[in-house]
Amino acid sequence: MNGTKKEIKMGREAILQSIKKNKPEALPMPIIDESAFYEDIDLLNAFKSNIALVGGTIKEIDVAQIDNELKTIYPKANHIVSATSKSTLGTIPFSKETDPHLFKDIDLAIVEGEIGVSENGAVWVSNTNSLVRALPFITNDLVIILNKSKICIHMLHAYDLIKDRDRDFGVFISGPSKTADIEQCLVVGAHGAMSLTVLLI
Amino acid sequence: MNHAKKAEIFNKDEAKVNWHDKALWYVREKRDNSAHKVQGWEYLRELGSAIKANVLSNLDEYLIQFETNAQKNGIKVHWASNAEEHNNIINSILEKHNAKKVVKSKSMLTEECHLNPFLEKKGIEVIDTDLGERIVQLAKEPPSHIVLPAIHKKKEEVDVLFQEHLGTKPSQGNPEYLVSEARKHLRNKFLNADVAITGVNFAPADTGGVVVCTNEGNADMGVHLAKVHIACMGIEKIIPKEKHLGVFLRLLARSATGQPITTYSSHFNKPDEGKEMHIVIVDNGRTEQLGREDFRASLHCIRCGACMNTCPIYRRSGGHSYDYAIPGPIGSILSPGKDLKKHSSLPFASTLCGSCSNVCPVKINIHEQLYKWRQVIVKEQKQPIVKKSVLKIAGVVLSKPKLYGFAGKSARFVLKHAPRFMIYNKLNAWGKARDLPEVKNENFDEWYKKRNKNG
Ligand code: SF4
Repeated sequence: MNGTKKEIKMGREAILQSIKKNKPEALPMPIIDESAFYEDIDLLNAFKSNIALVGGTIKEIDVAQIDNELKTIYPKANHIVSATSKSTLGTIPFSKETDPHLFKDIDLAIVEGEIGVSENGAVWVSNTNSLVRALPFITNDLVIILNKSKICIHMLHAYDLIKDRDRDFGVFISGPSKTADIEQCLVVGAHGAMSLTVLLI
Repeated sequence: MNHAKKAEIFNKDEAKVNWHDKALWYVREKRDNSAHKVQGWEYLRELGSAIKANVLSNLDEYLIQFETNAQKNGIKVHWASNAEEHNNIINSILEKHNAKKVVKSKSMLTEECHLNPFLEKKGIEVIDTDLGERIVQLAKEPPSHIVLPAIHKKKEEVDVLFQEHLGTKPSQGNPEYLVSEARKHLRNKFLNADVAITGVNFAPADTGGVVVCTNEGNADMGVHLAKVHIACMGIEKIIPKEKHLGVFLRLLARSATGQPITTYSSHFNKPDEGKEMHIVIVDNGRTEQLGREDFRASLHCIRCGACMNTCPIYRRSGGHSYDYAIPGPIGSILSPGKDLKKHSSLPFASTLCGSCSNVCPVKINIHEQLYKWRQVIVKEQKQPIVKKSVLKIAGVVLSKPKLYGFAGKSARFVLKHAPRFMIYNKLNAWGKARDLPEVKNENFDEWYKKRNKNG
């Protein structure tokens, strides 16, 4: 192990030295003029149509209707993990210590999202929302509940909104998992969730 | 074997080449549609390019800052000067955890370092989990495209491969069936893996975390289930600030496939409780490339694949003809820096039409660098390494750069106006006895839509 450690150190110094020797004169970091990206659009409508574009479903509903709505959309879901107090449909109790392997057969996961991005239909979900990091990926179907006042115009704005978070794990999710690796035929449902429903409240 | 010879092999199956050509052009068109919808797209590209130029001019400082921040968050950082060191570091982490089963998500770097064969020799099971990569892994082939690794394979071939390796039923290449079987097969691998290895798309220095983009969710399935995550990155993956992801994530997927963003853009900042996270930072020739003024900008690359999709030569010669981990126009300017002799035919595998530079989201002057490599090669390499025939074509093009190459505003322009003999010449394996690819093919759209419906 000692030998390895020494090598690693050498790698570091050698790389940094070589960069110093080879890098060009300092070039300025560009200042981003965000007004260049401004568009006078209806954020909510753009968000909705982009969610549809990336293969997700989106519905605007009243918080009180969440459970009823989900029962209608997923009548066959038995093994349900709910990471939000906004739904009482959860059938599997869990905490952030739960081994994610135990989620391997769950039908449905319900989590809250923090912000939505209108330009691409992405929703930011952090491990504060899902408690177990694997949850939004390992579930068969995924539901994200999002407050419609939390939709921003584009990714630059999105990063402003999440900049003060506790950095742990977080993901922008845009639609269900998908692949086009067989002859460019789009197939929804690769390794992550097979479907995504965003409920706007 | 040089590029032209290998391209000739690929061109033996004419129907397949035609399909390959059109399928990639279709991806290019999707990129155009998607880019045109973004307000300020050209400014976004300029920003991407300028941020990357700033990164390269201050790379050592950014790397140190990145390391400090990563360590603060409990991530272990390793540095590797070359492929061998990279592989040894990974092996020592695996040994420490007595790991025997590894799942890997897409990483061109581990491909470049030949990590899989290295680990397999040590008795470790390494499973590529991106569907396209799994397909080529089962076929014992390298990926032929950096974003679409199995684009050279027809669905019937995938069917046969899956029958043999996954025990699937013959389905005449039904993509939905094949994907669902792959999902089951790989789920099992995710659930039993000891360690997950991923690549890195972006590494913001100000947070010390890494961002990984996938459509399939394979990186996350691997990382969140295994007890150890190893993320491997070239030094050039650094970006100064997390906020800059707001520029690069807007560019990446649109340029790659025309999607507005990948399905998952995962931000790994801290290891999960009770787990370990490692980052391996790799040089492997990059600092040398940094020192080559003319070729430095090749390190801006964010691996979107757009230059491949648009390249008339790539589309008709296939990724394997380049015989380098990164094929296509970008591979042709990176590879000579690694081994000038071995890859000397690659800068000639181009019409210098400039289409690659036109679509590149970080504005790398790819075609100009191809031209400059040619000059280096002609000076340094003796015949017959640079084949006479190749030089002849190149000579014609180079003697009238205004007319042909640099005047090209877009692939369409060049394909329409480039003289036939330049692209479809007897001396030129890419286009032997073949008509020009249709610049805009209405039928393909229809055909593609139909095919999607029929599955
Ligand atoms: S060189 Fe540019 S176009 Fe080609 S893969 Fe890299 S970023 Fe994309």
